[in-house]
Amino acid sequence: MAMNPMEQFAIKPIVPLHIGGYDVSFTNQSLLMVIVAVAASAFLTLAMSKRSLVPSRSQSMAEMSYEFVANMIQTSTGEDGLRFFPFVFTLFIFVLCSNFFGMIPGSFTVTSQIAVTFALASLVILTVIVTGFAKHGIGFLKLFVPHAPLPLLFLLVPIEVISFLTRPISLSVRLFANMLAGHTMLAVFAGFVVLLGSAGGVLSVLSIAPMALIVAIMLLELLVAFLQAYVFAILTCIYLNEALHLHDHH
Amino acid sequence: MAAQEPENLRELGERLDEVQQRNAKRDTRPPPTQLGIASRFATELVAALLVGGAMGWGLDWLFGFFGIHTRPLFIVVFFVLGAAAGIRNVMRAANEINAEIAAHPAPSVNDDEEN
Repeated sequence: MAMNPMEQFAIKPIVPLHIGGYDVSFTNQSLLMVIVAVAASAFLTLAMSKRSLVPSRSQSMAEMSYEFVANMIQTSTGEDGLRFFPFVFTLFIFVLCSNFFGMIPGSFTVTSQIAVTFALASLVILTVIVTGFAKHGIGFLKLFVPHAPLPLLFLLVPIEVISFLTRPISLSVRLFANMLAGHTMLAVFAGFVVLLGSAGGVLSVLSIAPMALIVAIMLLELLVAFLQAYVFAILTCIYLNEALHLHDHH
Repeated sequence: MAAQEPENLRELGERLDEVQQRNAKRDTRPPPTQLGIASRFATELVAALLVGGAMGWGLDWLFGFFGIHTRPLFIVVFFVLGAAAGIRNVMRAANEINAEIAAHPAPSVNDDEEN
């Protein structure tokens, strides 16, 4: 029985669609993204629909996520960063829900696709660039000029430019690699369970070991799912902070 | 009894205010984990190398396109610059993580007093 741990990441078209030579099929990936977006919006809307003073469980979950993100923005970008609350909140909730929906056995992890994470990261960087130029005009380019003697600047400016261009890549690769690695690991250990179980005799009994490990990794993955969504959001805040208040870092 | 209750309520209110004030000062963000730190550093470093290498390759290609043969020059220079940028990124990330850890003083006895 051949088992490919990478098979779970395969994108399969559900509704084949070709427009102008491009493959724009509705795939299992698109389906999960729609489900995530609808589920997250529905949950937040329904949870807040009563607006009771003493919140129910679901309402207090919605309020906690709101406060969590609001706090995160306030501590890392200050008051004027709160203008970006809708943006950061949407990103955070989308990544969080994608990661959690991916944890359901048999579903598909949207964030394990570099196309998705890179699109999200590009969105963040474009927002940063637009905000920076809108707020500081051409002075935004000072972000690339550290305080240093002139001859050194010939070396430092390219380094700063590369460092800036690194951001969308490290932002997207981190999320993508974490989800990919975790889910591959789960599939590999699941493969061990089947192989040992079908081996017969004493070996079948041993298949309990990888099974137990899967439970442990599953818990770890739940932590990673939250943590990576958090890291994605906090880095968005840090980058926005730089665009808003230029050289506050050193 | 009736006279005692408002007094108790007022006291409760004061205690709640105190706790709220203390919590407001505290950072609600989760402290960084080892795994998070490791993946952060690794991606920062590798991504900078990739970007540096890609920029050098692109410049070489661009100059080659206009008939100036520079092939290994820019890719070498920019790969080194990329490494420098990567280290810069890691230093910056380390500063951010330090600031985050500083915002989380080790769980002290004070946290238990609230119960």
